Amino acid sequence: MIERPGRHRPGRFSEMSDAPSFSLRTGHWFERHLPKIVVLPLFALSLFFVYGFIAWTAYISLTPSGIMPNYELQGFAQYERLWATPRWYVAITNLFVFTSLFIVISMAIGILLAILLDQRVRAEGLIRTIYLYPMALSFIVTGTVWKWILNPGLGIENLVRKAGFEDFTFDWLVNSDYAIYTLVIAAVWQSSGYAMALFLAGLRSVDDEILKAAAVDGASSWKTYTSIVLPILRPVFLSTVIILAHLAIKSFDLVVALTGGGPGYATDMPATFMYAFAFQRSELGVAAASATIMLMTITAIIVPYLYSELRKTGQ
Amino acid sequence: MAIVAKSSKFGKYGRPTLAWIVGLLFFFPIFWMVLTSFKTDADAVKPEHLIWFTPTLENYLNMTENYDYWRFAKNSVITAVMATLFTLFVGIPAAYAMAFNPSRATKDVLMWMLSTKMLPAAAVLYPMTFLTKSVGLFDTKFLIVMVLSLINLPIVIWMLFTYFKEIPKDIIEAGKMDGVNTWGEIKEILIPLAWGGIASTALLCFIFCWNEAYWTVRLTTTDAATLSKLIEGNRAPEGLFFGRLSAVSAAAVGPIVVLGWFCQKQLVQGLTFGAVK
Repeated sequence: MIERPGRHRPGRFSEMSDAPSFSLRTGHWFERHLPKIVVLPLFALSLFFVYGFIAWTAYISLTPSGIMPNYELQGFAQYERLWATPRWYVAITNLFVFTSLFIVISMAIGILLAILLDQRVRAEGLIRTIYLYPMALSFIVTGTVWKWILNPGLGIENLVRKAGFEDFTFDWLVNSDYAIYTLVIAAVWQSSGYAMALFLAGLRSVDDEILKAAAVDGASSWKTYTSIVLPILRPVFLSTVIILAHLAIKSFDLVVALTGGGPGYATDMPATFMYAFAFQRSELGVAAASATIMLMTITAIIVPYLYSELRKTGQ
Repeated sequence: MAIVAKSSKFGKYGRPTLAWIVGLLFFFPIFWMVLTSFKTDADAVKPEHLIWFTPTLENYLNMTENYDYWRFAKNSVITAVMATLFTLFVGIPAAYAMAFNPSRATKDVLMWMLSTKMLPAAAVLYPMTFLTKSVGLFDTKFLIVMVLSLINLPIVIWMLFTYFKEIPKDIIEAGKMDGVNTWGEIKEILIPLAWGGIASTALLCFIFCWNEAYWTVRLTTTDAATLSKLIEGNRAPEGLFFGRLSAVSAAAVGPIVVLGWFCQKQLVQGLTFGAVK
């Protein structure tokens, strides 16, 4: 497994391939391979969990399973039933609306805050920690807190009414047309400070010389940001999008804690849909079909990404 | 270097003020939760007691006496600490091998590991519940530690790798010349050199384990139930028991908030995967 220094392969991980590899002068085979031996069992275990369970789920989606697994193959009937379920369309629309709004708003707020903090504000470290705190909380706590704040009778609506604006209405949490946006609000609160930290790190790594040159040329700060700094930050944008998208897919706990998928099933997401059909409605086959569709969609996004990463390195 | 705008009134007073106002907005929900935790359930839903109320410890006393807070807290501490230690125990050699003995497959393995983090957990919940119940592992601390370790391992290895690859290879090679074995190299050279990075990674892993709710809520009933399960169990239909729920939530996030305060540098570094040094 130990490789001689290979030809130069440019790409994101080129540092790795450029690393001098060692032929170990001392030690036995066992010792040389110790790190791999430690990792192997866990590696095998995750292979089993990830692919074994995916295979099982895909198989179940082709069976008439109801409350319990039934291993008799029946074809694509469960998929037909899935696509005939209005609730499924609500779930995928919600995922799309939530994910895009969440990513765009978090990044916009993140970059504005990063520019604000980049101006050498006093006690910057402290402010930065406060901005980042929400990210260290779990989604269920976030959901709990915002449920209170967004509750029409208890939170903001009530507060503003008490302040004298009797007609003020802010009932998104219980309004099935707007409830999905309350999830966006809570998730943005949790993650925008995080996006800020990533962008701030990117801003700080911009080369001094470029900025000095821009200043000499008399560029305004607005112009410097839009035409010099932001283009340089492109890799940061990419990694921020990937991390935020990953959070959005995992938003299950937030939905459960904040809206419970309601009112009705207005804020259902594919994850809560699967959960409801597998555990509450005893429609294991439909749940498995929806899981398989989600897995295929995510794979369809990941595989081209991996492929382009690999092609870049010429393998 | 920062682009410092020309000094103006706004630059001098406006920006810091704005930064602090935003900071307060970010902190407000957490403050609100703590405030509500000192109200009785009845006061928590009364608008007239929004700010002026008689603080009470009733929720906290109730929580420790009737809801067995300490048992849940103990489980949270045990599972999060064990999972963090175990993940580091496996992750450090793995990241070491990737950083210093890279093979052709290293990058692919790294990408593959990260891609597994993208899969929706809901898809494997049913088979997982089914399997663990049939082999008798359901609701055991062992299972929770294993699950927490497996889901955090990719991120831990990735983070450790980004720290390790910045260590000059010569130092490790010098150790080899001196005849130190692999284990010795990791223990005597690598760990002391990468201590800061390892600490940030450990803190992040601990926070993720502590916050994990999806699996810990659904794969436990009593014996291995963590604080996430306690919060989940106290969620009631609309508007009920907000004081109690706030107390439980505050007591569950309290340790993280305090820990984060004392380890601000590691928290920021860890949460941004080492992007902020």
